[in-house]
Amino acid sequence: MEIVEIIKVVVAGIICWLNFVLIDTYFGLPEKPGVLGAKTIGEKIRDIGGNIHGGYFMGNIVCSPDASAGTLLASIMSYLMGVEGGLIAALLVWIGNRLCADPGYAGTIGALTITAIIYLLSPIIEAKYFIAGMVLAIFTIQGFEHKYASILLGKIAKKMNRGE
Amino acid sequence: MDIVEIIIGVIALLMAIRIFLTRSRARKLLYLCCLSFCISALIALYVDSPMGGIVAITYFVCSTLSSNAIAYTIEQAKDIE
Repeated sequence: MEIVEIIKVVVAGIICWLNFVLIDTYFGLPEKPGVLGAKTIGEKIRDIGGNIHGGYFMGNIVCSPDASAGTLLASIMSYLMGVEGGLIAALLVWIGNRLCADPGYAGTIGALTITAIIYLLSPIIEAKYFIAGMVLAIFTIQGFEHKYASILLGKIAKKMNRGE
Repeated sequence: MDIVEIIIGVIALLMAIRIFLTRSRARKLLYLCCLSFCISALIALYVDSPMGGIVAITYFVCSTLSSNAIAYTIEQAKDIE
């Protein structure tokens, strides 16, 4: 039943994508570079023809564990330990955020929401598929095509009034 | 091999190749970030125990810390030039 498994991975990927992009945009990742390194990455993305706010978003993901990291780590811990694992992951992501000099709301809330989503969907889609789904989701942003990904993220940021 | 592990493994290999092919240092960091997501997921799937999860989280947080430091250094080096 490989087809069913692939469909589950793709559906989990879409849920993870929406979860982390919406939470990160809401907490203002595209607005400004949180650390100096994120600014360099944002400017580099603008130089290749992308959107600067999408670039800041991608730079902030690289430089600090935010909702994308929270989503991955909470799905890993939910797969291994159940709901308690998701809560442990949220705590550790918060510590990681503090190490990177970040307020840490986005990562913690991302981890908590995905834990709730996995708990609610556990009869249909197991936590394992969310791990692969999150890798797929981050691949579409960071690994596939930086220019178009940043333009898409810039449009979402504009729609949610975060960054011009 | 499980289909989940195959998907993550293929993405990890693809990222490793793209890191070598990209010239720009800042864009290498973006691919590297995606690669650390894959490695962290594979650690958790192979070491199938709560300790494996803790290792995966520690690995991921440390890799973002070092990416943070590298990106900061790139910015500083640009100023010196």
